[in-house]
Amino acid sequence: MKYQFSTLIELQDLLQAEKLSFDTYLLQREAFLSDKSLASVTEELDRRIAVTRQALIRGLSEPQHSRSGLTQGAAYAFQHAQNKLIAEPLFNRTIAYALAINEVNACGGKIVAFPTAGSSGIVPGVIWAYWESRVLGSQNFASIPAPLGPPYDLRLRSAFLMASLVGMVIAQGATLAGAEGGCQAECGSAGAMAAASLAFLEGAPFEICIDAAALSLKNSLGLACDPVAGLVEVPCVKRNALLAVQALASVELALAGIRSVIPFEEVVQAMKQIGDSMPASIKESAEGGLAATPTGLHYKKLIMGGE
Amino acid sequence: MHQTIAQKQLSLFDILGPVMIGPSSSHTAGVARIGYLARRLFGTQPDSVTVQFYGSLAATWLGHGSGDAIVAGLMGIPPEDEQLRDGRKLLEKALAEGSGFHITIEAMPKLPTGWHPNTVSLIISGSHKQLRLRASSIGGGSIQIDEINGYMVALSGMLDALLVVHRDEIGVIAIVSHILAANHINIAATSSHRKEKGDEALLVIEVDNPIPQSIVDQISNLPPVFSVIHLPSLEQL
Repeated sequence: MKYQFSTLIELQDLLQAEKLSFDTYLLQREAFLSDKSLASVTEELDRRIAVTRQALIRGLSEPQHSRSGLTQGAAYAFQHAQNKLIAEPLFNRTIAYALAINEVNACGGKIVAFPTAGSSGIVPGVIWAYWESRVLGSQNFASIPAPLGPPYDLRLRSAFLMASLVGMVIAQGATLAGAEGGCQAECGSAGAMAAASLAFLEGAPFEICIDAAALSLKNSLGLACDPVAGLVEVPCVKRNALLAVQALASVELALAGIRSVIPFEEVVQAMKQIGDSMPASIKESAEGGLAATPTGLHYKKLIMGGE
Repeated sequence: MHQTIAQKQLSLFDILGPVMIGPSSSHTAGVARIGYLARRLFGTQPDSVTVQFYGSLAATWLGHGSGDAIVAGLMGIPPEDEQLRDGRKLLEKALAEGSGFHITIEAMPKLPTGWHPNTVSLIISGSHKQLRLRASSIGGGSIQIDEINGYMVALSGMLDALLVVHRDEIGVIAIVSHILAANHINIAATSSHRKEKGDEALLVIEVDNPIPQSIVDQISNLPPVFSVIHLPSLEQL
Protein backbone atom coordinates (compact mmCIF):
# COMPACT_ATOMS: atom_id res chain seq x y z
CA MET A 1 0.00 0.00 0.00
CA LYS A 2 1.08 3.57 -0.65
CA TYR A 3 1.59 5.64 2.48
CA GLN A 4 2.55 8.95 0.98
CA PHE A 5 0.05 11.55 -0.16
CA SER A 6 0.28 15.30 -0.32
CA THR A 7 -3.18 16.27 -1.57
CA LEU A 8 -6.67 15.11 -0.73
CA ILE A 9 -7.29 14.21 -4.36
CA GLU A 10 -4.30 11.86 -4.22
CA LEU A 11 -5.61 10.42 -0.99
CA GLN A 12 -9.13 9.91 -2.33
CA ASP A 13 -7.80 7.98 -5.34
CA LEU A 14 -5.71 5.92 -3.00
CA LEU A 15 -8.64 5.12 -0.70
CA GLN A 16 -10.78 4.15 -3.66
CA ALA A 17 -8.11 1.87 -5.10
CA GLU A 18 -7.54 0.18 -1.73
CA LYS A 19 -11.24 0.20 -0.80
CA LEU A 20 -10.40 1.68 2.60
CA SER A 21 -12.06 4.30 4.76
CA PHE A 22 -9.91 7.32 5.72
CA ASP A 23 -9.78 6.35 9.40
CA THR A 24 -8.62 2.78 8.83
CA TYR A 25 -6.08 4.03 6.30
CA LEU A 26 -4.65 6.64 8.69
CA LEU A 27 -4.24 4.12 11.50
CA GLN A 28 -2.65 1.52 9.20
CA ARG A 29 -0.34 4.15 7.75
CA GLU A 30 0.74 5.21 11.24
CA ALA A 31 1.37 1.61 12.28
CA PHE A 32 3.51 1.09 9.18
CA LEU A 33 5.51 4.33 9.53
CA SER A 34 6.16 3.92 13.25
CA ASP A 35 6.74 0.18 13.01
CA LYS A 36 4.15 -0.42 15.72
CA SER A 37 1.05 -2.57 16.00
CA LEU A 38 -2.36 -1.22 15.08
CA ALA A 39 -3.40 -1.79 18.69
CA SER A 40 -0.60 0.35 20.09
CA VAL A 41 -1.31 3.17 17.60
CA THR A 42 -4.98 3.11 18.63
CA GLU A 43 -3.96 3.13 22.28
CA GLU A 44 -1.77 6.19 21.69
CA LEU A 45 -4.65 7.88 19.84
CA ASP A 46 -6.91 7.21 22.83
CA ARG A 47 -4.30 8.48 25.27
CA ARG A 48 -4.20 11.79 23.41
CA ILE A 49 -7.99 12.04 23.20
CA ALA A 50 -8.08 11.44 26.97
CA VAL A 51 -5.72 14.39 27.56
CA THR A 52 -8.16 16.69 25.73
CA ARG A 53 -11.04 15.40 27.88
CA GLN A 54 -9.07 15.99 31.09
CA ALA A 55 -8.12 19.50 29.98
CA LEU A 56 -11.77 20.23 29.21
CA ILE A 57 -12.91 19.11 32.65
CA ARG A 58 -10.16 21.06 34.37
CA GLY A 59 -10.95 24.23 32.43
CA LEU A 60 -14.61 24.14 33.45
CA SER A 61 -14.16 23.00 37.05
CA GLU A 62 -12.71 26.27 38.25
CA PRO A 63 -11.80 29.64 36.75
CA GLN A 64 -8.40 29.46 35.04
CA HIS A 65 -6.04 32.31 35.89
CA SER A 66 -2.72 32.64 34.08
CA ARG A 67 0.50 34.02 35.52
CA SER A 68 0.31 37.08 33.30
CA GLY A 69 -3.22 37.92 34.40
CA LEU A 70 -4.41 38.08 30.79
CA THR A 71 -6.47 34.91 31.18
CA GLN A 72 -9.13 35.16 33.86
CA GLY A 73 -11.55 32.26 33.74
CA ALA A 74 -13.57 33.13 30.63
CA ALA A 75 -14.84 29.56 30.18
CA TYR A 76 -16.09 29.38 33.75
CA ALA A 77 -17.71 32.80 33.52
CA PHE A 78 -19.37 31.94 30.21
CA GLN A 79 -20.73 28.65 31.46
CA HIS A 80 -22.29 30.34 34.48
CA ALA A 81 -23.67 33.39 32.68
CA GLN A 82 -27.46 33.41 32.70
CA ASN A 83 -28.64 35.48 29.76
CA LYS A 84 -27.90 33.69 26.51
CA LEU A 85 -29.12 34.99 23.16
CA ILE A 86 -29.08 31.49 21.69
CA ALA A 87 -30.16 28.86 24.20
CA GLU A 88 -28.85 25.87 22.25
CA PRO A 89 -26.60 23.55 24.31
CA LEU A 90 -24.43 22.52 21.34
CA PHE A 91 -23.76 26.15 20.45
CA ASN A 92 -22.99 27.24 24.00
CA ARG A 93 -20.93 24.16 24.80
CA THR A 94 -18.85 24.78 21.67
CA ILE A 95 -17.93 28.23 23.01
CA ALA A 96 -17.35 27.10 26.60
CA TYR A 97 -15.35 23.98 25.71
CA ALA A 98 -13.01 25.67 23.25
CA LEU A 99 -12.36 28.43 25.81
CA ALA A 100 -11.85 25.93 28.64
CA ILE A 101 -9.21 23.83 26.89
CA ASN A 102 -7.29 26.82 25.60
CA GLU A 103 -7.35 28.50 29.00
CA VAL A 104 -5.82 25.39 30.53
CA ASN A 105 -3.05 25.76 27.97
CA ALA A 106 -2.57 29.45 28.83
CA CYS A 107 -2.25 28.46 32.48
CA GLY A 108 0.48 25.87 31.92
CA GLY A 109 -1.78 22.82 32.11
CA LYS A 110 -1.53 19.61 30.13
CA ILE A 111 -3.03 19.73 26.64
CA VAL A 112 -2.56 18.26 23.19
CA ALA A 113 -1.17 20.68 20.62
CA PHE A 114 -3.81 20.07 17.94
CA PRO A 115 -2.40 21.26 15.67
CA THR A 116 -0.64 23.78 17.97
CA ALA A 117 -0.89 24.80 21.63
CA GLY A 118 -2.35 28.21 20.81
CA SER A 119 -5.16 26.63 18.80
CA SER A 120 -5.58 23.56 21.02
CA GLY A 121 -9.15 24.33 22.15
CA ILE A 122 -10.88 24.45 18.77
CA VAL A 123 -11.01 20.86 17.52
CA PRO A 124 -11.52 19.04 20.84
CA GLY A 125 -13.90 21.83 21.93
CA VAL A 126 -16.12 21.26 18.89
CA ILE A 127 -15.92 17.46 19.05
CA TRP A 128 -16.63 17.18 22.79
CA ALA A 129 -19.46 19.75 22.59
CA TYR A 130 -21.09 17.62 19.91
CA TRP A 131 -20.44 14.39 21.81
CA GLU A 132 -21.88 15.76 25.03
CA SER A 133 -24.93 17.32 23.38
CA ARG A 134 -25.82 14.85 20.65
CA VAL A 135 -24.34 11.50 21.67
CA LEU A 136 -24.34 11.50 25.48
CA GLY A 137 -27.38 13.80 25.44
CA SER A 138 -26.45 15.76 28.57
CA GLN A 139 -29.17 18.33 29.17
CA ASN A 140 -27.72 20.80 31.63
CA PHE A 141 -25.36 23.10 29.76
CA ALA A 142 -23.74 24.44 32.93
CA SER A 143 -22.74 21.01 34.27
CA ILE A 144 -19.11 19.89 34.22
CA PRO A 145 -18.56 17.03 31.76
CA ALA A 146 -18.06 13.68 33.48
CA PRO A 147 -14.68 11.91 33.25
CA LEU A 148 -14.61 9.70 30.18
CA GLY A 149 -11.53 7.58 29.65
CA PRO A 150 -10.40 5.14 26.97
CA PRO A 151 -11.15 2.96 25.15
CA TYR A 152 -13.13 5.39 23.05
CA ASP A 153 -15.97 4.90 20.64
CA LEU A 154 -14.88 4.28 17.05
CA ARG A 155 -16.87 7.26 15.82
CA LEU A 156 -15.19 9.57 18.31
CA ARG A 157 -11.74 8.31 17.27
CA SER A 158 -12.65 8.85 13.63
CA ALA A 159 -13.69 12.43 14.33
CA PHE A 160 -10.19 13.11 15.75
CA LEU A 161 -8.68 11.30 12.75
CA MET A 162 -10.70 13.37 10.27
CA ALA A 163 -9.40 16.57 11.86
CA SER A 164 -5.84 15.19 11.82
CA LEU A 165 -6.13 14.33 8.16
CA VAL A 166 -7.13 17.90 7.27
CA GLY A 167 -4.23 19.15 9.41
CA MET A 168 -1.79 16.87 7.60
CA VAL A 169 -2.86 18.18 4.21
CA ILE A 170 -2.46 21.79 5.38
CA ALA A 171 0.94 21.00 6.93
CA GLN A 172 2.13 19.57 3.62
CA GLY A 173 0.69 22.28 1.38
CA ALA A 174 1.28 25.30 3.61
CA THR A 175 2.23 25.40 7.31
CA LEU A 176 0.71 25.07 10.78
CA ALA A 177 3.18 27.45 12.45
CA GLY A 178 2.16 31.00 13.34
CA ALA A 179 5.76 32.14 12.95
CA GLU A 180 5.66 31.04 9.31
CA GLY A 181 2.07 31.68 8.26
CA GLY A 182 0.37 33.85 10.88
CA CYS A 183 -2.70 32.78 12.82
CA GLN A 184 -4.47 31.54 9.69
CA ALA A 185 -2.00 28.65 9.97
CA GLU A 186 -2.84 27.91 13.60
CA CYS A 187 -6.42 28.82 14.58
CA GLY A 188 -7.41 29.01 10.90
CA SER A 189 -6.24 25.45 10.32
CA ALA A 190 -7.84 24.25 13.55
CA GLY A 191 -11.15 25.78 12.48
CA ALA A 192 -11.00 23.89 9.17
CA MET A 193 -10.03 20.67 10.95
CA ALA A 194 -12.91 21.09 13.41
CA ALA A 195 -15.42 21.76 10.62
CA ALA A 196 -14.43 18.55 8.83
CA SER A 197 -14.72 16.44 11.98
CA LEU A 198 -18.08 17.94 12.94
CA ALA A 199 -19.46 17.28 9.45
CA PHE A 200 -18.17 13.72 9.80
CA LEU A 201 -19.95 13.32 13.16
CA GLU A 202 -23.15 14.48 11.48
CA GLY A 203 -22.72 11.69 8.95
CA ALA A 204 -21.74 13.83 5.97
CA PRO A 205 -19.86 12.12 3.12
CA PHE A 206 -16.10 12.72 2.82
CA GLU A 207 -16.44 15.41 0.13
CA ILE A 208 -18.86 17.43 2.24
CA CYS A 209 -16.53 17.21 5.26
CA ILE A 210 -13.70 18.63 3.15
CA ASP A 211 -16.00 21.31 1.79
CA ALA A 212 -16.88 22.36 5.32
CA ALA A 213 -13.13 22.61 5.99
CA ALA A 214 -12.65 24.72 2.86
CA LEU A 215 -15.48 27.09 3.83
CA SER A 216 -13.97 27.65 7.27
CA LEU A 217 -10.38 27.99 6.07
CA LYS A 218 -11.34 30.55 3.42
CA ASN A 219 -12.78 32.74 6.12
CA SER A 220 -9.55 32.63 8.14
CA LEU A 221 -7.14 33.60 5.37
CA GLY A 222 -4.93 36.49 6.28
CA LEU A 223 -5.42 36.14 10.02
CA ALA A 224 -2.54 37.81 11.85
CA CYS A 225 -0.59 36.23 14.70
CA ASP A 226 -0.06 39.25 16.96
CA PRO A 227 -0.21 38.05 20.57
CA VAL A 228 0.00 40.66 23.32
CA ALA A 229 3.37 40.50 25.11
CA GLY A 230 4.18 37.50 22.91
CA LEU A 231 2.04 35.27 25.11
CA VAL A 232 -0.39 32.67 23.80
CA GLU A 233 -3.38 34.38 25.47
CA VAL A 234 -4.66 37.56 23.77
CA PRO A 235 -6.26 37.17 21.25
CA CYS A 236 -5.67 33.40 21.18
CA VAL A 237 -7.99 32.15 23.95
CA LYS A 238 -11.14 33.90 22.75
CA ARG A 239 -10.23 33.26 19.13
CA ASN A 240 -10.41 29.56 19.93
CA ALA A 241 -14.06 29.99 20.91
CA LEU A 242 -14.89 32.19 17.92
CA LEU A 243 -13.27 29.87 15.39
CA ALA A 244 -15.05 26.91 16.96
CA VAL A 245 -18.32 28.74 16.28
CA GLN A 246 -17.15 29.45 12.73
CA ALA A 247 -16.66 25.70 12.31
CA LEU A 248 -20.29 25.16 13.37
CA ALA A 249 -21.52 27.68 10.81
CA SER A 250 -19.32 26.21 8.08
CA VAL A 251 -20.83 22.78 8.71
CA GLU A 252 -24.35 24.22 8.56
CA LEU A 253 -23.54 25.70 5.14
CA ALA A 254 -21.96 22.49 3.86
CA LEU A 255 -24.82 20.33 5.12
CA ALA A 256 -27.27 22.63 3.31
CA GLY A 257 -25.49 21.66 0.10
CA ILE A 258 -23.69 24.98 -0.28
CA ARG A 259 -20.32 24.18 -1.82
CA SER A 260 -17.08 26.08 -1.56
CA VAL A 261 -16.42 27.56 -4.99
CA ILE A 262 -12.67 27.32 -4.40
CA PRO A 263 -11.69 23.70 -3.67
CA PHE A 264 -9.90 22.91 -0.42
CA GLU A 265 -6.49 22.25 -2.04
CA GLU A 266 -6.52 25.66 -3.68
CA VAL A 267 -7.53 27.36 -0.42
CA VAL A 268 -4.44 25.75 1.15
CA GLN A 269 -2.29 27.11 -1.70
CA ALA A 270 -3.80 30.55 -1.16
CA MET A 271 -3.04 30.27 2.55
CA LYS A 272 0.60 29.48 1.81
CA GLN A 273 0.90 32.40 -0.59
CA ILE A 274 -0.71 34.81 1.88
CA GLY A 275 1.46 33.51 4.74
CA ASP A 276 4.62 34.01 2.70
CA SER A 277 3.70 37.59 1.89
CA MET A 278 2.70 38.57 5.45
CA PRO A 279 5.14 40.93 7.19
CA ALA A 280 7.16 39.38 10.04
CA SER A 281 5.61 41.85 12.49
CA ILE A 282 2.35 39.86 12.45
CA LYS A 283 3.88 36.40 12.43
CA GLU A 284 4.29 35.58 16.13
CA SER A 285 6.97 38.19 16.70
CA ALA A 286 4.68 40.28 18.95
CA GLU A 287 5.87 43.44 17.16
CA GLY A 288 2.76 44.46 15.28
CA GLY A 289 -1.02 44.33 15.27
CA LEU A 290 -2.73 43.89 18.64
CA ALA A 291 0.63 43.50 20.38
CA ALA A 292 1.61 47.00 19.25
CA THR A 293 -1.60 48.77 20.33
CA PRO A 294 -1.29 51.16 23.31
CA THR A 295 -3.13 48.66 25.50
CA GLY A 296 -1.07 45.76 24.16
CA LEU A 297 2.14 47.63 24.94
CA HIS A 298 0.81 48.60 28.37
CA TYR A 299 0.27 44.94 29.26
CA LYS A 300 3.63 43.99 27.82
CA LYS A 301 5.34 46.47 30.14
CA LEU A 302 3.21 45.37 33.08
CA ILE A 303 3.93 41.67 32.55
CA MET A 304 7.56 41.78 31.49
CA GLY A 305 8.52 44.39 34.05
CA GLY A 306 6.68 42.57 36.77
CA GLU A 307 8.64 39.38 37.07
CA MET B 1 30.06 20.47 6.45
CA HIS B 2 28.07 17.54 5.06
CA GLN B 3 24.64 16.80 6.34
CA THR B 4 22.00 14.24 5.63
CA ILE B 5 18.98 14.87 7.78
CA ALA B 6 16.72 11.86 8.18
CA GLN B 7 13.41 12.94 6.66
CA LYS B 8 10.49 11.55 8.54
CA GLN B 9 7.11 11.32 6.85
CA LEU B 10 4.45 13.37 8.54
CA SER B 11 2.90 11.31 11.32
CA LEU B 12 -0.65 11.44 12.60
CA PHE B 13 0.82 12.37 15.97
CA ASP B 14 2.73 15.31 14.49
CA ILE B 15 -0.71 16.89 14.02
CA LEU B 16 -2.49 15.38 17.03
CA GLY B 17 0.32 16.25 19.38
CA PRO B 18 2.53 16.53 21.15
CA VAL B 19 0.88 16.08 24.51
CA MET B 20 2.42 18.99 26.33
CA ILE B 21 2.35 21.44 29.18
CA GLY B 22 1.18 24.88 28.02
CA PRO B 23 1.28 27.60 27.01
CA SER B 24 3.46 27.51 23.88
CA SER B 25 4.54 24.55 21.79
CA SER B 26 7.71 26.30 20.66
CA HIS B 27 8.52 28.32 23.79
CA THR B 28 7.51 25.78 26.43
CA ALA B 29 7.20 22.24 25.02
CA GLY B 30 10.14 22.49 22.61
CA VAL B 31 12.36 24.07 25.26
CA ALA B 32 11.41 21.37 27.80
CA ARG B 33 12.42 18.74 25.25
CA ILE B 34 15.75 20.47 24.64
CA GLY B 35 16.45 20.43 28.39
CA TYR B 36 15.41 16.81 28.74
CA LEU B 37 17.46 15.74 25.76
CA ALA B 38 20.50 17.69 27.00
CA ARG B 39 20.29 15.90 30.32
CA ARG B 40 20.13 12.53 28.54
CA LEU B 41 23.12 13.49 26.42
CA PHE B 42 25.09 14.57 29.48
CA GLY B 43 24.14 11.34 31.21
CA THR B 44 24.60 12.34 34.84
CA GLN B 45 23.58 15.06 37.26
CA PRO B 46 25.49 18.23 36.32
CA ASP B 47 27.13 20.64 38.80
CA SER B 48 26.19 23.76 36.92
CA VAL B 49 24.34 24.80 33.79
CA THR B 50 24.34 28.06 31.87
CA VAL B 51 21.29 28.62 29.67
CA GLN B 52 21.26 31.31 27.01
CA PHE B 53 18.00 32.20 25.26
CA TYR B 54 18.15 33.83 21.85
CA GLY B 55 15.66 35.59 19.57
CA SER B 56 11.99 35.27 20.38
CA LEU B 57 12.88 33.15 23.43
CA ALA B 58 15.02 35.94 24.82
CA ALA B 59 12.05 38.29 24.55
CA THR B 60 9.30 36.09 25.98
CA TRP B 61 10.94 33.34 28.07
CA LEU B 62 9.55 34.62 31.38
CA GLY B 63 5.92 34.75 30.28
CA HIS B 64 6.07 31.40 28.53
CA GLY B 65 7.70 29.59 31.41
CA SER B 66 10.65 28.67 29.18
CA GLY B 67 13.05 28.95 32.15
CA ASP B 68 11.01 26.52 34.22
CA ALA B 69 10.68 24.22 31.21
CA ILE B 70 14.41 24.02 30.52
CA VAL B 71 15.28 23.58 34.20
CA ALA B 72 12.69 20.81 34.56
CA GLY B 73 14.08 19.07 31.48
CA LEU B 74 17.63 19.35 32.85
CA MET B 75 16.41 17.80 36.10
CA GLY B 76 15.16 14.84 34.09
CA ILE B 77 11.47 15.70 34.37
CA PRO B 78 9.81 14.42 31.18
CA PRO B 79 8.30 17.04 28.84
CA GLU B 80 4.74 15.82 29.49
CA ASP B 81 4.97 16.13 33.30
CA GLU B 82 2.91 18.95 34.85
CA GLN B 83 5.72 19.61 37.38
CA LEU B 84 7.37 21.33 34.43
CA ARG B 85 5.77 24.68 35.24
CA ASP B 86 7.52 24.76 38.63
CA GLY B 87 10.96 23.81 37.31
CA ARG B 88 12.93 26.59 38.96
CA LYS B 89 11.13 26.17 42.28
CA LEU B 90 11.80 22.43 42.24
CA LEU B 91 15.47 23.07 41.53
CA GLU B 92 15.72 25.48 44.47
CA LYS B 93 14.18 22.84 46.69
CA ALA B 94 16.59 20.20 45.37
CA LEU B 95 19.53 22.56 46.02
CA ALA B 96 18.35 23.17 49.57
CA GLU B 97 18.30 19.40 50.05
CA GLY B 98 21.84 19.03 48.78
CA SER B 99 21.16 17.82 45.25
CA GLY B 100 20.41 19.80 42.11
CA PHE B 101 22.75 22.09 40.19
CA HIS B 102 23.52 25.77 39.85
CA ILE B 103 21.69 27.47 37.05
CA THR B 104 22.34 30.73 35.22
CA ILE B 105 19.75 31.91 32.72
CA GLU B 106 20.61 34.72 30.34
CA ALA B 107 18.47 36.45 27.72
CA MET B 108 20.85 37.31 24.90
CA PRO B 109 20.31 40.68 23.21
CA LYS B 110 21.33 39.66 19.69
CA LEU B 111 20.43 36.65 17.55
CA PRO B 112 23.49 35.62 15.50
CA THR B 113 22.92 35.55 11.73
CA GLY B 114 21.78 32.18 10.46
CA TRP B 115 20.51 30.98 13.84
CA HIS B 116 16.89 29.94 14.27
CA PRO B 117 14.70 32.64 15.94
CA ASN B 118 14.07 30.26 18.89
CA THR B 119 17.54 29.14 19.90
CA VAL B 120 18.87 27.88 23.22
CA SER B 121 22.53 27.50 24.00
CA LEU B 122 23.60 25.34 26.95
CA ILE B 123 26.87 24.83 28.79
CA ILE B 124 26.53 21.86 31.11
CA SER B 125 29.38 21.19 33.51
CA GLY B 126 30.07 18.24 35.76
CA SER B 127 33.05 17.07 37.76
CA HIS B 128 35.12 15.84 34.80
CA LYS B 129 33.22 16.88 31.75
CA GLN B 130 31.51 19.68 29.93
CA LEU B 131 28.84 19.59 27.23
CA ARG B 132 28.20 22.55 24.99
CA LEU B 133 24.97 22.33 23.09
CA ARG B 134 23.02 24.61 20.78
CA ALA B 135 19.50 23.65 19.83
CA SER B 136 16.42 25.29 18.35
CA SER B 137 12.72 24.92 18.93
CA ILE B 138 11.46 24.78 15.38
CA GLY B 139 7.67 24.78 15.88
CA GLY B 140 4.90 22.57 17.21
CA GLY B 141 7.19 21.25 19.95
CA SER B 142 9.69 19.87 17.44
CA ILE B 143 13.34 20.58 18.06
CA GLN B 144 16.66 20.39 16.32
CA ILE B 145 20.12 20.06 17.80
CA ASP B 146 22.33 22.39 15.82
CA GLU B 147 25.70 22.11 17.52
CA ILE B 148 27.38 19.74 19.97
CA ASN B 149 30.79 20.63 21.46
CA GLY B 150 31.64 22.79 18.49
CA TYR B 151 30.47 20.32 15.86
CA MET B 152 27.66 21.45 13.56
CA VAL B 153 24.97 18.79 13.42
CA ALA B 154 21.27 18.60 12.55
CA LEU B 155 19.52 16.10 14.79
CA SER B 156 15.78 15.94 15.45
CA GLY B 157 16.02 13.78 18.56
CA MET B 158 13.26 11.60 17.13
CA LEU B 159 15.63 8.80 16.15
CA ASP B 160 18.22 6.98 18.24
CA ALA B 161 21.56 8.54 17.45
CA LEU B 162 25.21 7.74 18.04
CA LEU B 163 27.82 10.46 18.06
CA VAL B 164 31.21 8.90 17.57
CA VAL B 165 34.22 11.15 18.14
CA HIS B 166 37.19 9.51 16.44
CA ARG B 167 40.60 10.04 14.84
CA ASP B 168 40.08 11.01 11.20
CA GLU B 169 41.42 7.87 9.49
CA ILE B 170 40.36 5.39 6.83
CA GLY B 171 37.71 2.80 7.65
CA VAL B 172 36.09 4.10 10.84
CA ILE B 173 32.72 4.68 9.20
CA ALA B 174 32.88 1.23 7.58
CA ILE B 175 33.65 -0.55 10.86
CA VAL B 176 30.94 1.26 12.80
CA SER B 177 28.29 0.62 10.15
CA HIS B 178 29.40 -3.03 10.00
CA ILE B 179 28.84 -3.41 13.74
CA LEU B 180 25.36 -1.89 13.42
CA ALA B 181 24.49 -4.08 10.43
CA ALA B 182 25.67 -7.23 12.21
CA ASN B 183 23.25 -6.36 15.01
CA HIS B 184 20.34 -5.77 12.61
CA ILE B 185 20.19 -2.05 13.28
CA ASN B 186 19.07 -0.08 10.26
CA ILE B 187 20.83 3.24 9.59
CA ALA B 188 18.44 6.09 8.71
CA ALA B 189 21.06 8.77 8.15
CA THR B 190 24.74 9.45 8.64
CA SER B 191 26.85 12.53 8.55
CA SER B 192 30.49 13.11 9.14
CA HIS B 193 32.15 16.24 10.42
CA ARG B 194 35.83 16.92 10.96
CA LYS B 195 37.85 19.81 12.14
CA GLU B 196 40.86 19.17 9.89
CA LYS B 197 42.18 16.24 7.81
CA GLY B 198 43.76 13.65 10.09
CA ASP B 199 42.48 15.44 13.19
CA GLU B 200 39.50 14.65 15.40
CA ALA B 201 36.24 13.91 13.56
CA LEU B 202 32.64 13.33 14.50
CA LEU B 203 30.48 10.65 12.94
CA VAL B 204 26.75 11.05 13.52
CA ILE B 205 24.53 8.05 12.85
CA GLU B 206 20.75 8.03 13.25
CA VAL B 207 19.12 4.62 13.35
CA ASP B 208 15.61 3.17 13.31
CA ASN B 209 15.96 0.78 16.27
CA PRO B 210 17.06 1.41 19.85
CA ILE B 211 20.80 0.84 20.30
CA PRO B 212 21.71 -1.46 23.21
CA GLN B 213 24.50 -0.40 25.60
CA SER B 214 26.62 -3.40 24.57
CA ILE B 215 26.91 -1.99 21.06
CA VAL B 216 27.76 1.47 22.36
CA ASP B 217 30.55 -0.17 24.41
CA GLN B 218 31.77 -2.19 21.45
CA ILE B 219 32.11 0.95 19.34
CA SER B 220 33.73 2.89 22.22
CA ASN B 221 36.44 0.20 22.41
CA LEU B 222 37.52 0.58 18.79
CA PRO B 223 41.13 1.91 18.74
CA PRO B 224 40.49 5.07 16.65
CA VAL B 225 37.43 6.00 18.72
CA PHE B 226 37.90 8.63 21.45
CA SER B 227 34.38 8.70 22.81
CA VAL B 228 30.81 7.77 21.99
CA ILE B 229 27.67 9.65 22.97
CA HIS B 230 24.43 7.74 22.70
CA LEU B 231 21.30 9.83 22.27
CA PRO B 232 18.18 7.74 22.87
CA SER B 233 15.23 8.93 20.82
CA LEU B 234 12.74 11.34 22.38
CA GLU B 235 9.99 9.21 20.89
CA GLN B 236 10.62 6.55 23.49
CA LEU B 237 9.41 8.76 26.32
